[in-house]
Amino acid sequence: MLESAVNKVIAGLKAAGVSVVCYLPDSLFKELYPALDRDPDIRTIRVTNEGEGAAICGGVFLSGKRAALIMENSGLRASIEPLARMGMGAGIPVIMLMSYRGDLGENNWWAIPHGMTMEPLLEAMRIPYRIVTEEGAIERAIKDAFSWSYAAYSHSAIVLSEGLVR
Amino acid sequence: MKRFECMKRLGAKLENELVILSLGASVDEWYNAAPHMRAASLFQQQLGCVTPEAFGLAVGLPHRRVVSLDTDGGLMFNLGILATLANEQPRNLLVVVWDNECYQSIGGPPTHTAGRVNLAAVARGTGIEHAYLVEDLDAFEQHCIKGLAADTPYVIVAKVEPSVEPGIKRKHSDGREDKYIFVRHVEASEGIVIMGPSEHN
Repeated sequence: MLESAVNKVIAGLKAAGVSVVCYLPDSLFKELYPALDRDPDIRTIRVTNEGEGAAICGGVFLSGKRAALIMENSGLRASIEPLARMGMGAGIPVIMLMSYRGDLGENNWWAIPHGMTMEPLLEAMRIPYRIVTEEGAIERAIKDAFSWSYAAYSHSAIVLSEGLVR
Repeated sequence: MKRFECMKRLGAKLENELVILSLGASVDEWYNAAPHMRAASLFQQQLGCVTPEAFGLAVGLPHRRVVSLDTDGGLMFNLGILATLANEQPRNLLVVVWDNECYQSIGGPPTHTAGRVNLAAVARGTGIEHAYLVEDLDAFEQHCIKGLAADTPYVIVAKVEPSVEPGIKRKHSDGREDKYIFVRHVEASEGIVIMGPSEHN
């Protein structure tokens, strides 16, 4: 991931008012995580699985602060249960930023399921999402996701395409 | 040890704290054991989410004491949160685990704590220094006092009978109403806006 794209993500998070990020590291965002850790305005929390991260983000929402869950798109599968209960059951939103593993161009057999399952799961969970392919669109997409989720009190997701994160 | 009696002892010590609690019969018991804490308590039906949500709340409000009322089944759904708490060391989080050794709300089949699992030992193993298995009501109360004043994460695993307090009032609200009540309480007590008005644009 280019440093310029990393900076756009962090600028987008700050523009959206994010002060807490939960993450489970992945290889495609590997330059993003240390940059977040270094940022004095963002508290990072490393979690043991993405579902736990989703639940922590839900708790941060209840405090009035803003949090984002950052992960590989496979983390969506690990998050489904807490997302369903918090979002559909209680109206507690989680805003996700995920790397797009398994898109056309993927050359790892183990990542193919990530691409095959991501969009059907987002749709099954009624989570609106935007797949961002241009660096210049990152900041706006993150801001838009927060605007929508804080109007709908429901989850939303931004997916950074393979071209942005490889 | 009866969970309802533990709740009354704990509830009597709470005033400005915020509580997130687990599913099942403990919801109605807490609703009755600590009626003054109803608006300050988020009643959730989320196995594995309770302590992570409480931790997130504690992160967002570091000056406010947060209490997680979790369960053996709920905590075992996501043991990883103990490892996260151990590394993050929140200074304002008390975790109480009602360990009745069964999935009570579906009729009582055993959880793993009915076997060889000691959740307090698991918590200590992750690096949470203050994690205790408690089987006596007075000891529970003493740990609540210490846990509410602690500046490191404090975990009380309370061994309780698999019984429900009879004749208590059922809570009628659902998860959405509970969330609004809780958020409005946080807003009022903190002087902040969490769920504000629309933009009129």
